[in-house]
Amino acid sequence: MGQGRTGEGSLGRQALAHADALYRFARRLTGDEADAEDLVQETFTRALGAAERFEPGTDLRAWLFRILRNLSLDARRRERRHPTVAEAPLEALEAREGAPLLGDPELDRLRGVVARDLERALASLPEAWRALVLLRLEGLGDQELAEVMACPVGTVKSRLARARAELRQRLRPYARKAAP
Amino acid sequence: MTCDQARLLLVDLGASNRPAEEARALGHHLSGCPTCAALEREERALSDLLGARLPPLAAPERLRRALEEQVARAEALAAAPAAPFRRWAWPALAAAASAAALGLWLAPRSPAAPGPGGLAEEAVSDHLRALVAPRPDVESGSVHQVRPWFEGRLDFAPPVPELGAAGLSLRGGSVGYFRDRRAAVLHYQLRLHQVTLLVFPAAGLPLPERAGAAEEVRGFRAVLWRRGGLGLALVSDVDARELERLAALVQP
Repeated sequence: MGQGRTGEGSLGRQALAHADALYRFARRLTGDEADAEDLVQETFTRALGAAERFEPGTDLRAWLFRILRNLSLDARRRERRHPTVAEAPLEALEAREGAPLLGDPELDRLRGVVARDLERALASLPEAWRALVLLRLEGLGDQELAEVMACPVGTVKSRLARARAELRQRLRPYARKAAP
Repeated sequence: MTCDQARLLLVDLGASNRPAEEARALGHHLSGCPTCAALEREERALSDLLGARLPPLAAPERLRRALEEQVARAEALAAAPAAPFRRWAWPALAAAASAAALGLWLAPRSPAAPGPGGLAEEAVSDHLRALVAPRPDVESGSVHQVRPWFEGRLDFAPPVPELGAAGLSLRGGSVGYFRDRRAAVLHYQLRLHQVTLLVFPAAGLPLPERAGAAEEVRGFRAVLWRRGGLGLALVSDVDARELERLAALVQP
């Protein structure tokens, strides 16, 4: 197994430092604990098997997230058991007019949305948008997001803005019932 | 700064590494653009919500242990010499030659009965062959299609268990070999894991009467047992306890 570039032990040992973040991402991407554990284990299997191909000096965290997301996409394609109703083509969603802005009282209620409703709203986003929002929460910068999502940095920026706008809109029904 | 430029920056309100000039330009724009200022408040509210309400999650202990084992195995593999044969084979061959010269070469002419560990090794190798095969010979999720497919291809009728209730979906079947005999290779999927069930004539093989503890070979696990005149081997990379549970379901 290849050695990491920073002298902190093998690539596998360095990858272990990202286990929590990978699991969090997988759990919120799949919505299922067992699927998330499988995804993380399979990510390690692939990464350890391809350690010699990991280019020292490049971003290990982005590489691991990219492997995990690709595995997740493969599994979704294979299983076809995840509903695709909410997955309108991104192009169509991105071409949509912006929704009306939220007023201050609504923003106050937005802050009161409970965890379960927030997770539901996140889960309802198209996969690519959900992945971007979640990865940004894990602290990935624009360049890292571009590597994980395999798209240009400019696309990452505009898509992330649209993803967050869409998330705010999908939170509105939950905000209405939240205590201010 | 235009509204479009400002809105791309609003998604990262907390960015600490924003150049001072960019931060000033954004502030200037927001003070003169009520729409972008309202968007800024929305972004702030969303960031507050995501930061405060999403439950903190960490890898469960069993996953962490499994990952550490995976890494330790990979490290052990990397630490092993590339050609271990060279290290011990020559002394062993030299010793064997000396023994033969002394008339002490007492090994039986026929191969010794393989130990159970050797059978697990064989089962894992067969599982690896199934993994790299592009697809099963017969692709079907129905036991009623896969079972009859073996007729005429094998001189025994392999059981094809329906394991949907345990989360295993049948992907299909193939004909392969287990040691020197033809075997039914049944391909199942358990979440992201491939699970292979091998069924083969048991004659002459030291197989236990019941499915017992999983054996670990090269990071994979195998459970082998005998059922009448047939041998069965269940192989996967799922953890040992889960494989044993599945084997118990296949066993009856």
